[in-house]
Amino acid sequence: MRRALDFAFDHYLLAPLGGAIALIWANASSATYFEMTQPLTFAVNDVGMAIVLAYVAQGVFEAASVGGSLHSWRRAYVPIVGAVGATAGAVFVYVAFIGAGDQVALMQGWPVVCAVDLFLSLAVARVVFQRRPAIITFVLALAIASDVIGLVVISRPMVASSTHPTSTALLVPAIGASVALRRAHVRSAWPYVVVAGSMSWFACFFGGWHPALALLPIVPFLRHEPRNWIGFDDPADGAHATSRHFEYIFKYPIQAIVLLFGLVNAGVLIRGVDAGTWAVVVASLVGRPLGIVAALVICRWAGLPLPRGLGWRETSVIALAASPGAGFGLFFASAVFPIGPMLMQARIGALFTVAGVLLALGAARALRVGRFAAAAEQTE
Amino acid sequence: MRRLVVAALVAFVLSPATFEAQALTVPNRLGSLKFAAIGDNGTGDQPEYDVARQMDLWHRRFAFDMVIMLGDNMYGSQRAADFVQKFERPFRPLLDAGVKFYASLGNHDNPSNDTYKFFNMGGARYYTYTRGNARFFVLDTNSLDATQLAWIENALKNSPEQWKIAYFHHPLYSNGRRHGGEVELRVRLEPLFVKYGVNVVYSGHDHIYERIKPQKGIQYFVSGAGGELRRGDLKRSADTAAGFDQDRSFMLNEIDGDDLFFQVVSRTGETVDQGVLHRPRQPS
Repeated sequence: MRRALDFAFDHYLLAPLGGAIALIWANASSATYFEMTQPLTFAVNDVGMAIVLAYVAQGVFEAASVGGSLHSWRRAYVPIVGAVGATAGAVFVYVAFIGAGDQVALMQGWPVVCAVDLFLSLAVARVVFQRRPAIITFVLALAIASDVIGLVVISRPMVASSTHPTSTALLVPAIGASVALRRAHVRSAWPYVVVAGSMSWFACFFGGWHPALALLPIVPFLRHEPRNWIGFDDPADGAHATSRHFEYIFKYPIQAIVLLFGLVNAGVLIRGVDAGTWAVVVASLVGRPLGIVAALVICRWAGLPLPRGLGWRETSVIALAASPGAGFGLFFASAVFPIGPMLMQARIGALFTVAGVLLALGAARALRVGRFAAAAEQTE
Repeated sequence: MRRLVVAALVAFVLSPATFEAQALTVPNRLGSLKFAAIGDNGTGDQPEYDVARQMDLWHRRFAFDMVIMLGDNMYGSQRAADFVQKFERPFRPLLDAGVKFYASLGNHDNPSNDTYKFFNMGGARYYTYTRGNARFFVLDTNSLDATQLAWIENALKNSPEQWKIAYFHHPLYSNGRRHGGEVELRVRLEPLFVKYGVNVVYSGHDHIYERIKPQKGIQYFVSGAGGELRRGDLKRSADTAAGFDQDRSFMLNEIDGDDLFFQVVSRTGETVDQGVLHRPRQPS
């Protein structure tokens, strides 16, 4: 039982579990589902997700630190360029798809396809590239960078309707507090989260930025230790670095948040399939992988160092591994569309992009990449 | 071939006579509020023209002075010429007779259509207006954001009219197989409708006609076959009071005191549903 729980925690399986419960519940008793979950949406998507994103981002930040697998800015640029390509490819296809039809109102949903489900992408990368931490880290960094781009983008409508954009200035004392805590050699993560994090959250909330971004400006000021492998599964007890303490204190709360994340976002009625659904699916499963491949071609052409062992077969597989929007797509859809049928269409589309997992695994098998290369060699 | 053409011409010439045989079931009283309802009409195809022609024929006997449009008023391309082809030309006789159309936006409508003069939306995607003792609340269910929810609650709260009628594109209740009721919208809107005493709700989206049995004291109609049709799409349930999914249709409505009479007419002029709703008197 303990091992099963650990496995579920390590692979963030509570997110799809929450999603599966939501899917069944919404289709069996839709009224009770929406009545129960709609009041939770704000707490989960706007507060809980700030912790989740910070939790994942601090791992990538460590990988980009001296000694980490993404270290050197030139190396760190590559997943960022990949994320830009992923976003551009997906958005281009989405806009073209909707533009070809007559449901113009769906055009506002283009930020939905910026979302990459980093948990699913990470899971696929871990399954396929189990002995290549540099590639796994790369996939995760690409996914996070895409989601950060997406979060900034989905903040735009909030900015437009915001009443206090100047509140963003609260970020200054928030970052100032983080700097002071770091200089004071504070190792506990609590003051960073409670003092600086709260100010940053209010800066985002009242300033019109998505509150899920709130802790990201704080993360760089946590005391980090470089590491090659981004694994969130075994955080130490926080004896050495603030970031480790951050992982330690949030290891289990994170699991509750991702369960609720799946629960409040994934409850969609499957009968709402329409143009918005297919636009999200095609943009994610076709546009995003093509965008990633194109971006990595540009990186190679520009002489930026790709992770070791990343040939074109591997590139194809990671491009597909980053195709599912899934949980993050659901989350983005909720931020972009108000309650209604367009939201439902986009959510179903985001759910359907889970098919990207199968495409990635199928491609890895067909192209004999990662563990499938080893399996093929053993067979031969 | 010649016989066929002659037969078609005879049928065309005689059709008003055939139409005259159809009974008007709404009382058509002097001074009552009369209005028609159409949804999902804007195809620009022949069926829309047929429905518009029927509406014109019925208007000659039942002089409704307004039409509520339940969304998808325009499909496909929505340039200036399309507004002529898909709206002004088919409904020209009604427009010339002074009938006003009040539109809500559907998922196929360009949001900027709220400025089109014949839709009388005044540049707002949601709005309200009063006719006689009835207040109409027009919502944009494509995008039911917090601002719109606050607006509708305030508008309902401050409405002293006897009849409160809401209309919008996506139905809160529907047994159409293709779409069905939008439960997420229902969870948000129904409590407000119940709290502030909305009497009737009209929607489209499913390309059928359906009258739902009153839910929490509110009468719901789906009338989404004004141009589009999804034949056989109605999956009757225990909540279905009446329905029609074999041809296009539109609704005639009349409010007289505490009664709202309705008659649903098919493209060929047949009456496919009729009835009356009695508004419970509020304690004074």
